[in-house]
Amino acid sequence: MKRIFYIIFVLAIVIFITKACIKKDMPQDAAVQLRPKAQITDINYPANQKNITINGIDYLQSQAPIGKFGGALVASTIGEGPKAFNPFNSKDNISSQMSDIMYDGLLTTHPVTGLPIPKLAKSFEIINGTDYIIHLRRGIKWSDGKPITADDVVFTWRDIIFGGYGNTSIRDSVIIDGKLPEVYKLDDYTVKFVTPQPFAPFVSLLSSPIAPKHIFQPAVNKGKAYFDTFLSTNADPKTFVTSGAFRLKEYVPAQRAVFERNPNYYLINTENKKLPYLDKLVYLIVGDINNEVLKFEGGELDVIGLRGANVARFKELEKHSDFTIYNIGPDTGTMYLSMNLNTRRNDKGDFYVDPIKQIWFQDKNFRTAVDYAIDRKNMVLNIANGLAQPLFTAESLNSIFLNKELKPYDRDLNKSRELLKKSGFYWDKKGRLYDKFGHRVEFNLITNAGNTEREAIGVMVKQDLEDLGMKVNFKPVEFNSLVNKLVSTLDWDMVIMGFTGSPLEPNGGKNVWLSDGTLHVYNMRLEKDLNSKRFDWEKRVDYLFIHGALATDFEERKKFYDEYQEIIYNEKPMIYIYSPLRIYAIRNKFKNIFPSSLGGITYNIEEIFINREGK
Amino acid sequence: MEILKYILKRILQTIPLLIIVSLISFFIIRLSPVDPLAELRLNPSVSKETLQRETERLGLDKPIIIQYGKWAKSFVKGDLGVTSNGELVSAKLKERIPNTLLLTVIVIFLSWSVGVPLGILAAINWKSPLDRLLTVLTSIGMAIPSFFFAVLLLIFAVKTGWFPVGGLTSSNFLEMSFGEKVFDITRHLVLPVTVLFTLSLAGLQRQMRANLLDVLDSDYVKFARAKGLSEFKVIFKHALRNAINPMITLLGFEFAGLLSGAALTEYVFQYPGLGRLILEAVLKSDINLVMASLMMGAIMLVLGNLIADILLIITDPRIRQKNGGQA
Repeated sequence: MKRIFYIIFVLAIVIFITKACIKKDMPQDAAVQLRPKAQITDINYPANQKNITINGIDYLQSQAPIGKFGGALVASTIGEGPKAFNPFNSKDNISSQMSDIMYDGLLTTHPVTGLPIPKLAKSFEIINGTDYIIHLRRGIKWSDGKPITADDVVFTWRDIIFGGYGNTSIRDSVIIDGKLPEVYKLDDYTVKFVTPQPFAPFVSLLSSPIAPKHIFQPAVNKGKAYFDTFLSTNADPKTFVTSGAFRLKEYVPAQRAVFERNPNYYLINTENKKLPYLDKLVYLIVGDINNEVLKFEGGELDVIGLRGANVARFKELEKHSDFTIYNIGPDTGTMYLSMNLNTRRNDKGDFYVDPIKQIWFQDKNFRTAVDYAIDRKNMVLNIANGLAQPLFTAESLNSIFLNKELKPYDRDLNKSRELLKKSGFYWDKKGRLYDKFGHRVEFNLITNAGNTEREAIGVMVKQDLEDLGMKVNFKPVEFNSLVNKLVSTLDWDMVIMGFTGSPLEPNGGKNVWLSDGTLHVYNMRLEKDLNSKRFDWEKRVDYLFIHGALATDFEERKKFYDEYQEIIYNEKPMIYIYSPLRIYAIRNKFKNIFPSSLGGITYNIEEIFINREGK
Repeated sequence: MEILKYILKRILQTIPLLIIVSLISFFIIRLSPVDPLAELRLNPSVSKETLQRETERLGLDKPIIIQYGKWAKSFVKGDLGVTSNGELVSAKLKERIPNTLLLTVIVIFLSWSVGVPLGILAAINWKSPLDRLLTVLTSIGMAIPSFFFAVLLLIFAVKTGWFPVGGLTSSNFLEMSFGEKVFDITRHLVLPVTVLFTLSLAGLQRQMRANLLDVLDSDYVKFARAKGLSEFKVIFKHALRNAINPMITLLGFEFAGLLSGAALTEYVFQYPGLGRLILEAVLKSDINLVMASLMMGAIMLVLGNLIADILLIITDPRIRQKNGGQA
């Protein structure tokens, strides 16, 4: 009798605990109704910031509404936190994000139009496409009170960047035909850059941070090995001398980085008071996305990027909570399906790709048939919870170089069948697809295991292609082996992957598109194959990328990049799938929030202020 | 003197052990298909030259055996090397060790000072309702997976707002007075300590109870009782002394777990301890950091066992004699 009582007791506890944990399922609302997209187009952006001279000091004046000083904004980064605070040493996004807060560049990009606008520089001129004359602001200071002059700029570019210190990615990308640009000091507040030949992407590189010479010179003198450890995460925050709106106050490994306002910042409001409004900017370092969401719900975070299922839940919470959700449009990354167009042999004399499959993949009709068989809308609904936009172009949807002529299309199996028939493919009675030589169409599809989104896409692609009678063996493989397959062993048939991209500068993707690029995945040429045969359209893309970088006028450049997108759209070496939307939630107490597709939500951190009363 | 000789012998024995551990772990990490540069390789804006330089910097272009030799040489000299980001491994570990120790020491202290008395209590009141209740509670404690319990507590923290969601200090920690700092850390520690405490309490309480019950059933306890000794003397002077031996061995293991035992809980609570650091290092195949932590774990285990053995020699005359006889 007693035992029965115990059993009932234990059972009751278990039931109560599980009951407490189970939450009623949210109704599966296929397409979450976000606030109409107007949300972002409706925003009244303040007028452009302008230069204003007071007592001989060239300030930059914000035209945003005047706010209150004080308070802190708590944001977060996922992962291990920054690895370096030296802006020339950052090799990962988080490190460069942190150093960008502290060090301003000469120029920056306009958050709405994407065009270069002056920041640390007062103005700039481009002459003949090769000469860049930069006028600096007079009288502005580093956070330690020393003036910011042409010496700092020349030192940064000549000694640090061209000298090959730290992360050399900027240097790598400005080498034109083996030559580096030159930089000259014309006077204390004027600097001239000369590129060996017109090179349009250079202007966007001028947004690279500028270092205080009096702090960095000793580190440069001690050599590259020392420079790599200079201003690391162990450095004393007091030693940071910055030009940006904030400077480091405290860094606690694996917990947070705290920034405080730079009292010498050169941005002022319309009452001529020095910005930023916020006293502190805090980045919490959180290990994973779930913890980030919990922290936001627990009130420890003020702003958060949301994805997938969380958006639906937050949408519910928003009604009786203190935050607003913003949809700032498609992501800058691209997700694609690609076929291996390689026809070459490896060292052992074997083909990288089975010759039978080569014939299919080389066939434009086959690639187009695959493209038309893919149901992007279905994927958007089922995988991205409706929070994505189908993608058809090589440039991302918010790119200023996007070719808007290239129209989206729906799934069309009849068209796919027609194209396959045209190329001699046929079906047997059971609907299985064979090529004109009688080979069953069967190939492998890979993606990186662990990325649930890509795995889900893989499953749907497999189903879509099986509707055409193809046999698809879908195998998620470990990320490292996948990369190895893509860039060195080249033994793959079809892959689903993604690349990061820049909405402002297509030339950043040249390693993907140039036929000898290091990431030309769909037709990768290793060292030994660099001179192998190219498709006509590959040659044309090479031409477009080389000349697109040399042209300097935006309209002229756009013609080159429009054509490359059209070629990819027609030839389909890469079949694009969708771009997820970027959704942010931010607490209502923050004002002067002007989200933009290019800038994100807190790009104007200097202008953001806290106002608790009402809206 | 005998004890000293014994300790020396044990220390010498650990050297080949450590060499084997290091060899196996080094080769397993390096032979796994994890490529520390995979992320860079797939980044369209990274040039070939940068990749080449990174490969050389990390020594990935050399055969594994040479990489191992290099590592072992500097390890013997006491240099743990640098992480794949160029930070000193020793500095990285130094940042995290105090945090982990803070957590584990509190947990061990609490669970031993509560678990052992509860075990004794249960054994003395064998089959009483108190014993049964404790059995049920410890069953639950042992049955709940730590990560699950941690997640439940996190949800609790979010819903009630009584506790912070993970971490060790609040973002305005720097401006707090000393008293506020202590309170802040305590508030952050409550949940992770609860998780670890529940788990280790359950195990300890059961172990202690079983040991004592075994001993209470033995002839010499019956004899002591028959001799008319008070129950207090029987239990605390005679029974407990004999029941405590397995607990000392257990204490040795607890010592080994000081630095590595809380990894899972640390991860769920975003606690800035060693667990998170090492997990991230393993995922990125950051060889020096992983090796340093593995070696640390091995050394702690060996050391813990050694301490337990020495304590046993001190507390248990039977072992002392056996050892003396051998040596």
